[in-house]
Amino acid sequence: MMENSEQKMGKVFLVFAGICIVVLPLIVFSAFSFESDEGETVVVKTGGDDFDQSGEAIFINYDQLSREYLAGTSTGRTLSDYYDRRQYPGSPPYIPHKVEEADLAQVECLACHARGGWSEELKMHTPITPHPEQTACRQCHIEQTDAKLFVDIDWMSVTTPRLGRSDLPGAPPPIPHELQMRGNCIACHVGPGTVAAIRVEHPSRGNCRQCHVAETNAGLFSRNN
Amino acid sequence: MSITRRSFIKTLALNSAAAAAATLFPGISFGAWKNVDQSSGAMQWKKTPCRFCGTGCGLLVGVAGERAVAVKGDPNCTVNKGLCCVKGYHSVQILYGKDRVTKALVRKNGKLVETPLNEALDLVASKMQETIKNHGKDSVAMYGSGQWSITDGYVSSKLFKGCIGTNNLEANARLCMASAVTGFLTSFGLDEPMGCYDDMDHADVFITWGNNMAEMHPVLFSRMLANRKTKGHVKIIDFATRTTRTSQAADKSILFRPQTDLAVANAICYEIFRNDWVNWNFVNKHVSFHKGKTNIGYGTEDHFKFQDKAETVDLETYKTFLEDYTPEKVEKISGVSAEDIRYLASLYGDPDKKVTSFWCMGMNQHTRGTWINNLVYNCHLLVGKISTPGNSPFSLTGQPSACGTVREVGTLTHKLPHGVVMKEGARKMAAKIWDVPVENIDPKPTYHTVEMFRALDRGDIRFMWIQVTNPMVTMPNLNRYRNGAEKEGRFVVVSEIYPTPTYDVADVVLPSALWIEREGFFGNSERRTQHNEQIIPMPGDCMSNTWQIIEVARRMGYKKQFPWPEETYIEDSWNEYIQFHDSPKHRMAPYNDLKARSGIQWPFVDGMETKWRYNAKYDPAAEGDDFDFYGKPDRRAWIWLRPYEPAAESPDSEYPFWLNTGRILEHWHTGSMTRRVPILHRAAPESYVEINPDDASRMGITNGMKVKVSSRRGSVVMKASINGRGRPPMGMVFVPFFDESYLINEVTLDAFCPISKQPDYKKCAVKLERV
Repeated sequence: MMENSEQKMGKVFLVFAGICIVVLPLIVFSAFSFESDEGETVVVKTGGDDFDQSGEAIFINYDQLSREYLAGTSTGRTLSDYYDRRQYPGSPPYIPHKVEEADLAQVECLACHARGGWSEELKMHTPITPHPEQTACRQCHIEQTDAKLFVDIDWMSVTTPRLGRSDLPGAPPPIPHELQMRGNCIACHVGPGTVAAIRVEHPSRGNCRQCHVAETNAGLFSRNN
Repeated sequence: MSITRRSFIKTLALNSAAAAAATLFPGISFGAWKNVDQSSGAMQWKKTPCRFCGTGCGLLVGVAGERAVAVKGDPNCTVNKGLCCVKGYHSVQILYGKDRVTKALVRKNGKLVETPLNEALDLVASKMQETIKNHGKDSVAMYGSGQWSITDGYVSSKLFKGCIGTNNLEANARLCMASAVTGFLTSFGLDEPMGCYDDMDHADVFITWGNNMAEMHPVLFSRMLANRKTKGHVKIIDFATRTTRTSQAADKSILFRPQTDLAVANAICYEIFRNDWVNWNFVNKHVSFHKGKTNIGYGTEDHFKFQDKAETVDLETYKTFLEDYTPEKVEKISGVSAEDIRYLASLYGDPDKKVTSFWCMGMNQHTRGTWINNLVYNCHLLVGKISTPGNSPFSLTGQPSACGTVREVGTLTHKLPHGVVMKEGARKMAAKIWDVPVENIDPKPTYHTVEMFRALDRGDIRFMWIQVTNPMVTMPNLNRYRNGAEKEGRFVVVSEIYPTPTYDVADVVLPSALWIEREGFFGNSERRTQHNEQIIPMPGDCMSNTWQIIEVARRMGYKKQFPWPEETYIEDSWNEYIQFHDSPKHRMAPYNDLKARSGIQWPFVDGMETKWRYNAKYDPAAEGDDFDFYGKPDRRAWIWLRPYEPAAESPDSEYPFWLNTGRILEHWHTGSMTRRVPILHRAAPESYVEINPDDASRMGITNGMKVKVSSRRGSVVMKASINGRGRPPMGMVFVPFFDESYLINEVTLDAFCPISKQPDYKKCAVKLERV
């Protein structure tokens, strides 16, 4: 017995609808949650301060990242949180959570901040340090109390870099910050622990400096006559 | 499921939000700071040494307009290679505390009143002249600092020793590095380390002697950790009296009872002989043996005098002397197991291991500070581990220019820029360079720091000018010296940048330019001289300390000796100063080289720095084919027979605890600068007393509870810290001294090393009470 074409279409439609009902929420749900693979990166020791000295380690590091990590977007961290922890663009941020002194002077910080991952205690993804080769973390990053200032300070610094400034419409923006100790772009611009506003929209491209170049204060080119 | 699609949708939303924000608010500031300039984030980077410790990190300061706005490590400086510590990164904020002193102040009817600067300088000069006229030249004194720029110290020496003719010139480096100096002089005949920081990249073993490098020299500590991480086999041994962050990061932590490092060092040498780890080639050729006086006292009484006398002895006498220091005997004195003593000795003794020892205040602030310096040199000399890459007994400094200004310029009572006042040759050289009659320079030293403040209390000194230091927080047995400074008939001038307890006792306050607000030089621990240009303008009436001294000198009639114009006086005084060191043993780099480079090590001979002294391979002053300890007349390094002697005051039934004092990572010395830096103050807002958990639970003291710490001299009530960053053993408490609200130096004892005259801030007896 042959089914007529309408019945056939109806069945296909029914199966498709069934699939849609089951799978669509999954897709939607997964877009707003994180997956276990998203949480961890692999850290390879970098030798120097900059991309040009430690490019190999940065690339190996990049190769070992899961696709899920690269696309991770679960953070709630904002640019305002980011700068509130700093005294000027590029200063070492303070530690925004409790640290038990029983922890060692080193290494313990890197358990979370070298590889990234989910902190059940803080309900957040941990941000990753761009310089995991430095192990005495608390030499520069210190906890804060809510103590009143000893005396007020008349402190000023420069404007934070403006987001998305390209020289031509659609052109890749230059790197607006210092690169010393911050030469591993992936650490801060990719993954679920990063600040949303500075995360790149094309995380699967690893050779960042192919398009993004450092910005300096140099004036325009002029010939020496 | 498409990853690209998912992230695309989300990033699209975020990007458009960010783009919208950027369009709506160009240059929007998210930061915890006001913007110096709305129009751009442009900065210029200028080099300078760091303002804080003796490590001497190179910094690049970001300047926008006339403001210092950011810091990064100078990658061209070999000291830190681009890394700083939290103090360094925030150092420029010390310039901007709202209570900055920018006008001269003169005390009128008990109150400090704003006064035109010229009037204040006139008063300082006339008061000094009047005091000299009424009470003699030795009634006026200058008390400076290891944070003085080199030219500050140089012009004060010229004014006080050359022009006025008094040796009443001291500096706070007496409280921090004097034992290191006498240690070097007695063992090698010349001051300052033979090695350099490169030793850290070469050594296989590091032994820190009472030295919490993780907090006090963090950048060097990181360099040591980096070496361990790269090589894998490197060991760090922390040998200390309490457990610190350094102990935690070390491969092994060995605790000893206060003062017994003397016995342990001798036991290490005993073991080196017993196992025949002695480097006989080195010892026979380059070492001689000497003993000095014993039972030398503690200097707690006024007018204390001591002069050591060296007696040459033979090797057998030394070996017999060491028999009192077998590991078993020393275990009983020190609490260090015989096994650990043997382990330490085996590290020094292993011919295949390069050993670097580090120390700072633990060994220097010690009533036998000179001795323990000698004894650690002994450990290195017996095995010949010295003056070669990685083999280095290394004395670290606490202040940015303790070496550069105090030790090299010689701003101490017995010193001249080259040599000592007691030597006619040194006086003649100074008189010639300074253009003063040689009779002006007094051949007799007067007061070392503690005795100088005692003389102020007694009234032998009537006028004191204090620059770049805060003695009303840092003098041990402080009550006596503050009372002395406040007595009727004393005149105290303070050159300062912020109100401090020392400012509070001043009759005149002169506003000083700070660090990068003026041109200057520092000299760090590894013989490196570092120049900084003036990077930002001076606020208000502020003036460099050098120029303040020149202004006063000219008012006192010494125009001929201080002829330099305001545009070039730093360069001119530098050029005059370096004539004192014009030999291959100490030649300094020329001004223009220093200006161009991130620090240069002396001796700087034929355009080359000297990394390892006393080794002919590296040192142009060394003769022969290997080592040449040319500082001593016998051209040998001296091994000293120095016994264990107890501390000046030890715990007893009435005062059962040792009191140990020191610094912490966040604060520099008395905190007058770092407490004005928000992030540093909020990390460590007040001082505390660290108590061992077992002592605390026995006494019912819990964390944060108020405790009274008292000695025979004074007391402080402060919060207890239990299981904090430092953990003293049972029977010891530790208090950081940065907080002027808890003056722990009212509790400490003014006992000092009779040879170096450096006080011991690490040992006195106290009791604890709950309040």
